[in-house]
Amino acid sequence: MIAPDSEAGFAAAIAAATAAKTALNLTGYGSKAGFLRPVVAGETLSTRAFRGVSLYAPKELVLSARAGTPLAELEAVLAESGQQMIAEPPRYGFLGGDGVVQSLGGIIACNLSGPRRIAWGAMRDHVLGVRAITGRGEIVRSGGRVLKNVTGLDLAKLLTGSYGTLALLTEITVKVLPIPEATGTLVLHDLTPARAVAALSAALGSPFSVTGAAYLPERAAAAMGYDRPVALIRIEDVAASVAYRLQALRQQLGRYGASALLDQAGSLAIWQAVRDATPLAVGADTMIWRVSVAPSQGPGILERAQSLGLDGYLDWGGGLLLLAGPATQAAAAALSGAVAAVRGGWWLLRAPESLRASLDAVPPEPAALAAIRGRLQSAFDPAGVFTPGKLHAA
Amino acid sequence: MIALPAPNPATLARRDALVAGLRKILPAADGVIADPVRLKPYETDGLTAYRQMPLAVVLPETTEQVAAILAFCQAQNVRVIPRGAGTSLAGGALPLADAVVIGMMRMNRILQIDYADRYAVVQAGVTNLGITRAVEADGFFYAPDPSSQLACMIGGNIGMNSGGAHCLKYGVTANNVLGVKLVTITGDIIELGGTHLDAAGYDWLGIIIGSEGQLGIVTEITVRILRAAEGTRAMLAAFSSNAIAGACVDAIIGSGIIPVALEFMDRPAIHACEAFAHAGYPLDAEAMLIIEVEGSADEQTAMLERIKEICSAFAPTSLKISQNDAESAAIWKGRKGAFGAIGRISPDYLCMDGTIPTSTLPQVLARIEALSAEYGLKVANIFHAGDGNLHPLIMFDANQAGQMQKAEAFGADILRLCVEVGGCLTGEHGVGVEKRDLMKVQFTEIELDLQRAVKSAFDPDWLLNTAKVFPLDRLPARASLPHAA
Amino acid sequence: MQTNFTEVQLRDPAIQVADSILRSCVHCGFCTATCPSFITVGDEDDSPRGRIYLIKEMLESGSAASAPVAFHLDRCLSCLSCMTTCPSGVDYMHLIDHARTHVEQTFRRPWHDRGLRAVLAAILPYPARMRWALRAAGLARPFVGLIPQRGVLFARMRAMLALAASERVVAQGVGDVTAQTVHPAQGTRRGRVLLLAGCAQRVLDPGIHAATIRLLNRMGVEVVIPQAAGCCGALTHHMGKHAAFVAQAGATIRAMTDALDEETDAIIINVSGCGTVVKDYGFALRGEGPDLAGKAAKISALAMDVSAYLLKIGYQRTRPESGLTIAYHAACSLQHGQKITDAPKALLRQAGFRVVEPRDAHLCCGSAGTYNILQPEIASSLRARKLDTLTALSPDAIAAGNIGCLTQLAGAGIPTIHTVELLDWMAGGPCPAGLKS
Ligand SMILES: Cc1cc2nc3c(=O)[nH]c(=O)nc-3n(C[C@H](O)[C@H](O)[C@H](O)COP(=O)(O)OP(=O)(O)OC[C@H]3O[C@@H](n4cnc5c(N)ncnc54)[C@H](O)[C@@H]3O)c2cc1C
Ligand code: SF4
Ligand code: SF4
Repeated sequence: MIAPDSEAGFAAAIAAATAAKTALNLTGYGSKAGFLRPVVAGETLSTRAFRGVSLYAPKELVLSARAGTPLAELEAVLAESGQQMIAEPPRYGFLGGDGVVQSLGGIIACNLSGPRRIAWGAMRDHVLGVRAITGRGEIVRSGGRVLKNVTGLDLAKLLTGSYGTLALLTEITVKVLPIPEATGTLVLHDLTPARAVAALSAALGSPFSVTGAAYLPERAAAAMGYDRPVALIRIEDVAASVAYRLQALRQQLGRYGASALLDQAGSLAIWQAVRDATPLAVGADTMIWRVSVAPSQGPGILERAQSLGLDGYLDWGGGLLLLAGPATQAAAAALSGAVAAVRGGWWLLRAPESLRASLDAVPPEPAALAAIRGRLQSAFDPAGVFTPGKLHAA
Repeated sequence: MIALPAPNPATLARRDALVAGLRKILPAADGVIADPVRLKPYETDGLTAYRQMPLAVVLPETTEQVAAILAFCQAQNVRVIPRGAGTSLAGGALPLADAVVIGMMRMNRILQIDYADRYAVVQAGVTNLGITRAVEADGFFYAPDPSSQLACMIGGNIGMNSGGAHCLKYGVTANNVLGVKLVTITGDIIELGGTHLDAAGYDWLGIIIGSEGQLGIVTEITVRILRAAEGTRAMLAAFSSNAIAGACVDAIIGSGIIPVALEFMDRPAIHACEAFAHAGYPLDAEAMLIIEVEGSADEQTAMLERIKEICSAFAPTSLKISQNDAESAAIWKGRKGAFGAIGRISPDYLCMDGTIPTSTLPQVLARIEALSAEYGLKVANIFHAGDGNLHPLIMFDANQAGQMQKAEAFGADILRLCVEVGGCLTGEHGVGVEKRDLMKVQFTEIELDLQRAVKSAFDPDWLLNTAKVFPLDRLPARASLPHAA
Repeated sequence: MQTNFTEVQLRDPAIQVADSILRSCVHCGFCTATCPSFITVGDEDDSPRGRIYLIKEMLESGSAASAPVAFHLDRCLSCLSCMTTCPSGVDYMHLIDHARTHVEQTFRRPWHDRGLRAVLAAILPYPARMRWALRAAGLARPFVGLIPQRGVLFARMRAMLALAASERVVAQGVGDVTAQTVHPAQGTRRGRVLLLAGCAQRVLDPGIHAATIRLLNRMGVEVVIPQAAGCCGALTHHMGKHAAFVAQAGATIRAMTDALDEETDAIIINVSGCGTVVKDYGFALRGEGPDLAGKAAKISALAMDVSAYLLKIGYQRTRPESGLTIAYHAACSLQHGQKITDAPKALLRQAGFRVVEPRDAHLCCGSAGTYNILQPEIASSLRARKLDTLTALSPDAIAAGNIGCLTQLAGAGIPTIHTVELLDWMAGGPCPAGLKS
């Protein structure tokens, strides 16, 4: 593993790899090494030695940090000024225990967002600018440190979520926001998935600025100590508003049956669990899916998944499914087919080694788009050295 | 003035044949415009300083027609200029003499509205406000609200990644689009994203939105629609200097309050807008903030009280909370009509669109004032204070020889200043032709080459909206413009 | 926006005015969004901003109007929605008026177009000729099926016959109330007004004047109809036939001026299309010699839409509430031309009606004077659009302050009634004919 501590160091390492046509596995701390497809690389290039906050202007709501900065470190810095990452990046429980470290660069490269995505946008929506190194070993910038910027093509967005297959992110500037004064949750009990999503849709279609809307079916609920399925609706704002809106919602959703309220501590705990996929039952040989569909399609996909032996829960008002279960080629094909049929997107986040290489990790692209992607990758990485195979088979 | 490439004589020579070919694709009597008199109004957009007659204009009505036109143009090696409502302030829809303008205004239908999943599918020629109008009776709205929202089209918004006064809370176009139907220069129709929140694979939407028609033509768009808050209320806070108003903005954000909108106007802007909107703007103030909050009546009151308290620490010359919707509407009418209002006091204006770190506002405004004296041209400043997007409006008289050039030079100085203090050339209007040659102020050649290579991945022959965004001196080989000026 | 007139050109006061209007347009494009022809056709050339550009090029070149310019200017409805929208205050009305005159003077239209315009100009402003024409059209109506389906000319013929045979229900046997000059006030006289009897409305629906006079008389207002005041000239004005306009308007102005006395409150107009033109006499006739120009300005200053006058003197209902829902259709000449938006609705509410308004109320219904005859395709598309939004409200009747709109919107199963007839009814007058059926 190479772990330079300067941009120049990264640039030199990459230029050398390109010259030697040695593929590089771009990583931070390797927490998501098992994600998507296996990478065939001669060397690992890590950002772990390149860390630290380089700019923080709380009154301008921006923070820049080097790619290797651990997420937890960054969140601590923000918290000192009463601010936070907006998209609630998850710390998936299945990545391992407390010792797991995630880098800012890794979260950005995977575009992972938590429950608040439904209201405030995804990680990709808050990346204001990046510094990155191309396969030619050239340092490039895109975006900037201001909240709005449409100068030239938005390469920062393209790099976000590209899983290290286009360029190495070295520094990222994100928009941040104040931590809300209060958080509260309305819990609806014992709804079928379809009724639960209808309730969540009603909540998200209400004027009350819901910032979390999840549904835990029986098993996921049980993992969180509920004896029946629960639908969760979150409000974050000043205390008076949280109280008022929860009451208003409770009334408006009366037709969905009995409900309960969670206090601040209870709310923070349950939403952290939703964020971190805690309710997911994960074993050594399970495959883990992250599926994004129109919310009303969520229950159908859940049902299909359950019929294939998988289970999990719904976030984003029903539009995000986190699913886990026994890994078979047939189940994988059936599930991805079901998602494709409703024109959704999916990531096969994790699968046993035996399956990973032979499955698509994201939906295949139409030919015209695949051709564009090929040219695009060559533009960034002419020798094809960056994390080959991670997203798409080479 | 920014130079346009000389036209390709081979294309000009084949004009009649090309028009005939286009007529085969668009048989409707007026689907292809080639008469010079009729072409004239298409020679410019919201930036009238630049004018160029196109070879022809086509007005397709379906995605398939757009695809056929692009495939035809690629086969014939003809450049194309996508055009929405033509309100670009950066000359984004400016034609070239050898190019076909593809006007999207006939594709103006709303195809689907889904409240349960909170999205709408619309054609590219639907106006921004048209979406909100279609869903507002049910309490919903489409969030990005450029001041031009009445007229500008969603396809153009995609082109420029347009923003508006309420972007502080709700984001810009890129944050509110779920999917697009993209027609590539090869005539392929590709669906990107869909009706779900996160698309898997590369963030194609992210690169298409804001690409100024460089990568393809968008014909259908799936946008998020949001439920509106219970109500909104605006407040006007007036101060005795730009610096004090700027400090107040810092204090509001620093307190943890994020209003839905936070707009700044300096003295000349206040006067121009008040003359138009009669909104009760404070004419004695040096600077003014429009602050908007939302929620139930009680929530609004509570929030405005907190903001009022913060403002009070900055010795405001006046504080006024709107008492009803009509007053709020008048306050916004002034702000949204600001550019037109300038048209009442000056025959011409250039609207700049830099962004700056908010903390540098007083310093930047002082420099602009000094430049204004130096150039002898008046300027009014409007600022999306919450997100650092500054709109200096430079007033001039194009009928006076030399004033246009002076105004352009003044504008370029302002944009250089924005980059110098850590900002960028454009926050929401795009680069277009206007800021094309200034791109080098913000980017290195390496960075520009990478962006050019991304364009080439979509449009290898550089037929789409050529001569915009990228300085012309280093184009890829296949994009050679042999007759470049 | 930059303009390029030579110094010589700018010595012409009319060009000076056009130049300053063009200079005030910043080409922002806002107006395109609310322009009915742009929304229907989807071509910059059929938008206000595009037309302003076409006009600029035409006037700057100093040459004759070309066919495409005439074509696109003809497709403008003169609804003036663009003026309501424009944040820069561009005076589109005076620009297009100027351009239309230029087109009329310098461009030779195809024979059938010229013919039709001449016929319309020779008939519509003259009530006697119009009565005759309507009867003739009634006779021709059974043959409408013989008119070929394609071609502008035939489309226009069909449009004319359709209008002539409008299924609008109007009061029968009213007689021509306008033949009497003085209609005295009931009780003590509170005011004195002149009423413009005009032309087409008198023939198409005599009940409107009757209701206006009844209502005003009942409210203590004396109504005087100067017999020599005929057509206001709007029709020829919009065709750019300036000489004919000056003759017609001049006659009306002189007749009105003669009938004025110290106690005349206002000149009442109950056809808003005419009102917009009369209010503009002062400007339109500024170059026609000091005598006429002076009188014209005075008439303009006194001109008032009947709704504005009624609101001013205080309308009151005497009958119990009818329980009817009235869809108020804002005529463009009223809402955009005269900027009267609230008065008619306020009055209808005072009269006890539930007043509703359609979506996109700012869009024209396609009537626009003779537009529905000259541009039948765009007009019928706008009519359908307007009727869709109106019928969505399920009203008992549609009210408007302009005979053109009332005729255009008739035939869809909802009675179309002049606002003043509804007001008169609720103040003691007869039930409007349209509502009785
Ligand atoms: C008075 C005024 C106020 C304004 N206020 C704001 C504001 O507050 N915020 C803001 O962001 N902007 C503002 N603008 C700028 C302008 O309105 C926006 O840039 C708008 O998005 C342009 O939309 P349009 O439909 O007019 O597009 P056009 O001007 O026609 O085109 C804009 C760009 O998009 C491309 N394009 C158009 N349609 C398509 C398509 N279907 N597919 C691919 N590319 C396409 C064009 O090639 C061009 O590069 C303002 C403009 C004016 C005149
Ligand atoms: S709205 Fe006014 S200023 Fe803007 S283009 Fe139209 S006429 Fe010109
Ligand atoms: S008057 Fe009406 S039809 Fe004519 S340009 Fe203006 S808005 Fe369009």
